[in-house]
Amino acid sequence: MSRRALFLRLLVKAAWIRKDRTLTALLSILVVATIATVALTVYSDLEVRLSREFSSFGANVVLTRKQGSISTDELHKIDAVVAHQGEIVPVAYAIASLPDHSRVVVGGADLEKLKKLNSWWSIESSSSGTTLVGARVAEKISPGSPFTISFADDQQNVLQFKAVSVFRSGSEDDSRIYIDLPQFTARTGIQPNTAFIRIDGRPQEIEKKVAELAASLPGAEVKPVRQVTAAQTAVLGKTRAVVLVASVIVIVLIVLCMVASLSSAVLERRKDFAVMKALGASDRTVNVIFASEAAMVSAVGALAGFILGTGIAWWIGKANFGAAITPRLELLPAVLVGSIMLALIAATAPLKALRRIQPAGILRGE
Amino acid sequence: MFARLLFESFRRQTRRKLFALLAIALGMSISTAMIAVATDVGDKMNAELRAQSGNLVLTPVDDSLDVEIGGVNLKPASSGAYIRESDLPKIKDIFWRNNIKGYAPFLSEQQNVALPDRSVKAELIGAYFAQPVKYGDETFVTGVRSVNQFWKVDGEWPADDSSDALAGSSLARNTGLHKGDTVEIGGRKLKITGILSTGGTEDQAIVAPLHLVQQILGKPDQVSKAAVSAMTKQEDAFARRDPDTMSAEVRERWYCSPYANSIAFQIHQALPNVRVDQIRQVEQNQGKVLSRISGLMLLLTLAALLASALAVSAVMASTIIERRQEVGLMKSLGAGNGAVATLFLTEAGVLALGGALVGFAAGAFMAHRIGQSVFGSSITVHPVILAIVIISALMVAFAGSTGAIRKAMRFDPAVVLRGDA
Repeated sequence: MSRRALFLRLLVKAAWIRKDRTLTALLSILVVATIATVALTVYSDLEVRLSREFSSFGANVVLTRKQGSISTDELHKIDAVVAHQGEIVPVAYAIASLPDHSRVVVGGADLEKLKKLNSWWSIESSSSGTTLVGARVAEKISPGSPFTISFADDQQNVLQFKAVSVFRSGSEDDSRIYIDLPQFTARTGIQPNTAFIRIDGRPQEIEKKVAELAASLPGAEVKPVRQVTAAQTAVLGKTRAVVLVASVIVIVLIVLCMVASLSSAVLERRKDFAVMKALGASDRTVNVIFASEAAMVSAVGALAGFILGTGIAWWIGKANFGAAITPRLELLPAVLVGSIMLALIAATAPLKALRRIQPAGILRGE
Repeated sequence: MFARLLFESFRRQTRRKLFALLAIALGMSISTAMIAVATDVGDKMNAELRAQSGNLVLTPVDDSLDVEIGGVNLKPASSGAYIRESDLPKIKDIFWRNNIKGYAPFLSEQQNVALPDRSVKAELIGAYFAQPVKYGDETFVTGVRSVNQFWKVDGEWPADDSSDALAGSSLARNTGLHKGDTVEIGGRKLKITGILSTGGTEDQAIVAPLHLVQQILGKPDQVSKAAVSAMTKQEDAFARRDPDTMSAEVRERWYCSPYANSIAFQIHQALPNVRVDQIRQVEQNQGKVLSRISGLMLLLTLAALLASALAVSAVMASTIIERRQEVGLMKSLGAGNGAVATLFLTEAGVLALGGALVGFAAGAFMAHRIGQSVFGSSITVHPVILAIVIISALMVAFAGSTGAIRKAMRFDPAVVLRGDA
């Protein structure tokens, strides 16, 4: 029998004859590789996943033209920067008078887009009206019955509303009335000078796009809505940190547990070790045999663990975020190499301790 | 005899027992830390969001509408009602007073601001920065620095009893105002100690201590608006019901739940001439984000628990497989399967109990450190977790041992003792 064949035979037989021991080792590595894959995959996808949840917070950037109105050309520029990763709602404002002569701000906008952007507005749509009336304005009028507003103290330029929807936002919008933009422009001749923009993406991407907007539109003031961006940054940062710290702790502890268990299994094989030595194997050969066995088992365990871990991460994404977390193949080498290194350390470290004892002593049961 | 066997087994195999104990303790500390973090992460994130901005806004009931375009207040100065500043501490008297994290009153009016070289019209806003407020025997510090943490200042925050002020970033840019400049408003000289950036109307205003602004405007004890930061429970269908249509019993339950609208209702009861609105933008949306994060942590916890259970039962199984010769010896001396199993399972139980206690202590410490390092506040480890950890340690240790014991007993004692198995 050639050396090579003997070596292979030793490896395979050792694994096969003691199936339970091999299985335990395999399971150990599998658990480590699985939990590492789950944690790393989830962690690397976390920011993108969670950022998506912040799109319901509405506009995170407000762009205001200092003088004049936003031109079509400028709108195209905004469009180019946002690039369909969000929503743009241009709004025009004017002051009008209510029937009781108190003043009210009237805004003109694409109402469907406005409602979509501010999905958190609670809209009491008692009637089929499209005009949106803020809750505080609604207290001044009786929303059920028709009412009129007049623009620029001009008693001729009046607009009558028959049916309206009342919304509640908790912001200054509650003191405003929103009507359809073409109607607004026809009445007042005012074009939009403000754009509410929602940019989807991670905090850094939003920051970058805000800077781009400011650079491409020098005549406008571009301001992030701090309440929203600060909330997003804080929550994302803390979540990433807590997931990272928790994952590191879990992985380290599981690794400790596994290394201890694997090396104790090797210690149990001290008789095999002694027999090999007694038959004339060198320290190096014994090391190579034990290490190759560990490497073989751990490679299989790591591969299975990676597949299982990716599956679990995919399921976590599905169950929690409603969208699967994509597998990260680039993690495979790290998981594979890490697991094999781990197994090698666990398998060869105990041998060093055994080498100090005479094979005869071990065989006698000392 | 049984007690002696048990005792000797621990005394003579200290290394093996310590190893098993360590494995169980490691597994259980993972469980403790992960469960503690996962159950507390929702509250912690809620507090994190709450710290960024208030979630309730108080305005006088008979106030006229805001007339504000692009951050410029066009409301005539004469119109408008006020809230009495001295009434505000009553907010701390409601049923959910401990959920009120703070409040920040504001008083604002358009004023002529005399700059070193010229004069401009700008909004003068009075606010608490970090004002100590006395209510009953209790003193607490509140103001925009704690309620609106999204306000960023380049420079120094003014002291509440000084005549220092902040200049809004847009105002500063447009007028060339700098830190250290002095402006004059209503005959009072205000030193600008910092540039304020909020992304809102304050960017075009001068923000000064409330009491100073009250003096300048001649409106002692008056505020036009107040932001309140309250810890609230996520709104659900029950919260949205109209309290007027509820029966007394249901209404009691609604009143005693910290929903944003029941807290708003209670503030309105304490301050009848104040209307309370929810700032819905953050309030309405945070729930979804928070539930996603809690869900994620729970799923990760589940994965970690599973992994540590597997790890612990693998260790338990391997320690028993190693002791096949002992099983053989006991059996050849006439011990029945039941006696052997009882001994081994009792050992496993003792180890599990010890490991669970050590692991719980270590896990609680780790959770505490995670809380400190990530959130700057400690994570509370609920005592229930100890019960969960002990039970799961026992279950995992027994599950790991049983299979191995059964296997060890299947072998012929003679073969095992000869060392062939």
